[in-house]
Amino acid sequence: MMKKIFVACGSGVATSQTVASKIGNMCEDEGLNVSVEAVDIKSLESIIDQCDIYVSIVSTGANNWNIPTISGIPFLTGMGMEEEFEKLKQFIAQ
Amino acid sequence: MSDSLLHDELVLLDCSANDSEELLTNLAAILKEQGYVKDSYTQAIIDREKVFPTGLNTPGAKVVMPHTDPVHVNKAAILVARLRNPVLFKEMGNSGNSVEANLVFMLAVTDPKGHLATLSKLMSIFSDGEKLLGLYNAETKNEMINQLDEILA
Repeated sequence: MMKKIFVACGSGVATSQTVASKIGNMCEDEGLNVSVEAVDIKSLESIIDQCDIYVSIVSTGANNWNIPTISGIPFLTGMGMEEEFEKLKQFIAQ
Repeated sequence: MSDSLLHDELVLLDCSANDSEELLTNLAAILKEQGYVKDSYTQAIIDREKVFPTGLNTPGAKVVMPHTDPVHVNKAAILVARLRNPVLFKEMGNSGNSVEANLVFMLAVTDPKGHLATLSKLMSIFSDGEKLLGLYNAETKNEMINQLDEILA
């Protein structure tokens, strides 16, 4: 089944969009069948039950969902990106 | 300039401010004067930065990328400011950390999906220390504009 990945940031207008696009491209390059969507943090709660993997960009609350979570920041700065992508791939494979 | 989000009058060298709130207020005033954003933008961007900080510990030069909801924006733009002295911001995703920001990319976004290509290009340099340092070391405004043009081309 296709895994659903949600990327959430404060407004859903800039950071989450960019990180979602980057992760989407990286998954596509690896032939991974996923859907990646950017949302604002307020909307996340209402769709969290559809979410298989959560990519977090904010530090306030919201990191306590009971679902696999990775950090989105490395996909912006490039630092630690490979490790975080490895984690994501493991979650996708589960 | 080649990209519609970049505007000569929104590229600023050698800005200074005592703290992040003063800096955000001053930069928002420039966007407001030029009609890019509404009056509500200033407070919105200050509030947003408190709850969802945008400082990034990027290689080369540290960046901060303040932005807020499209409802406060008239016309999309990217304001780029280089700081003479770093200004302390909180780190994105980790409010416990501080970032001594040298470069500010203040976003006025109206259509997130429509601007995705430009924003992605902009953020692609956040992992490129050489490009960030290049912007930080630009000697003239024109040099900085040329570099930005190339990045967003």
